[in-house]
Amino acid sequence: MSADTGSFEEIALGYIDVVYRVAVGLCGKSVDADDLVQDTFLKAFERFGMFEQGTNCKSWLLTILRNTWIDRLRHQKVVGNVVSLEDDIIDQAGEVDEDVKLNSSELLERFSDEQIIKALKRLPHEQRLTLLLIDVEQLSQNDVAEIIGVAVGTVKSRVSRGRMELKTRLESYAKEMGLTGGEK
Amino acid sequence: MNHLTDEQFEDIMQGKDADLRHLSECKDCQNALAEKRAVAKRLQMAFKSVKPDASLEETIRGRINEKRRQLGLVVSGGRPWKTRLNDKMWSTLAAAAVLFAVAIPLAIYLSASSSAIAGQAELVRIHEHNMSPHTEFFSDSDPEKLAAYLKDTLGFTPAMPAEGHGLAIRGCCIAHFKEQITGSYVVSTPSGIISIIVVPDTPKDIAMDRMPAKKGYGQTFWKSSYAHCNMVAVRLGDYTYCGVGEISKISHEYLRDLLNRLLSDTQPS
Repeated sequence: MSADTGSFEEIALGYIDVVYRVAVGLCGKSVDADDLVQDTFLKAFERFGMFEQGTNCKSWLLTILRNTWIDRLRHQKVVGNVVSLEDDIIDQAGEVDEDVKLNSSELLERFSDEQIIKALKRLPHEQRLTLLLIDVEQLSQNDVAEIIGVAVGTVKSRVSRGRMELKTRLESYAKEMGLTGGEK
Repeated sequence: MNHLTDEQFEDIMQGKDADLRHLSECKDCQNALAEKRAVAKRLQMAFKSVKPDASLEETIRGRINEKRRQLGLVVSGGRPWKTRLNDKMWSTLAAAAVLFAVAIPLAIYLSASSSAIAGQAELVRIHEHNMSPHTEFFSDSDPEKLAAYLKDTLGFTPAMPAEGHGLAIRGCCIAHFKEQITGSYVVSTPSGIISIIVVPDTPKDIAMDRMPAKKGYGQTFWKSSYAHCNMVAVRLGDYTYCGVGEISKISHEYLRDLLNRLLSDTQPS
């Protein structure tokens, strides 16, 4: 089908909530997230002639979102000062004492949604995206593997490591914020 | 006793078959699974209230309509033509048969044409991205460093023109063209900034028109204009080098001269 059928809005724009959520997970609640969503839909519109109707539009849009986001990250790098996407971790959570280990959902509830999203934003890029697609968007491992362009096994290990990393960071924040002291 | 692996935990989280017998007997694995589920659930809850403003959707609709206008497509508030077409098709069987005979080749033509035009739109988008205010991108760059970076990322070094006579290579970037990684670099010229984008598609694939032959130019050059940009392409080895510049500053002939210089200055490695 061609992009001039007028049905792009009917088919693709219905996923704006999904695309926006993932964009916020990647960029935080910011103008950057809005820009990423806009660019994703504009690119999708330009390529709509290549989209096979009846196939998974959500995965198709998320693939474009991921590629657009990767392109942006690459643009932000100074040539000659290239940093691997995998290595671009803002900071590492420190070691956490045994007595602040997170062992119940009760402690997780003490963090605001915004704090959880901020903690997620500090994970390595591809780990963050994988976690978003699996845990937040509830996509299948196969769909995520296709979107990210890796093997299913890689998706499993990334999401597992990502969840562990997020948990460790939250434990670390809990300690800093005094959320655990004496209440265990 | 072997505990469940991360992979097995992930399969259980996805509701796939896994070693549930071990899980039912192992307290450690039960606790580990409970923690993973708690993190996943909390993460999902954190995004429940994340929703776009209505203004974002309106902005996107506006930009899409603007793009339609650039493409010369009708911006219609009515039903899509496809639906209207279906109504007509049911009017008489004979009309449907005639329409069918005409519609199939037309749809193939439109689909191929749309895909080719989409290629031009992507070239313009890459150029626009190169022009966006990423100051780091436009900082002084060593052509050898750029070439090494592109080779490392793309697996080959694109041909580049020699600097001098007002030409300076300002930076490069990696982008996606039709979902494939592609390279481009930016050349500053006395007339304006030009992006050279290297893609595997042929100029015909991108719906470009052959330029008239010019004396002294051994290669065939192709040209096109899309939105606010002129573009000229030339095939070199397995790749097409597309020069893209603003219509108001860069003519097709100027782009052809630059690409011709590219051919005479360097050979791709």
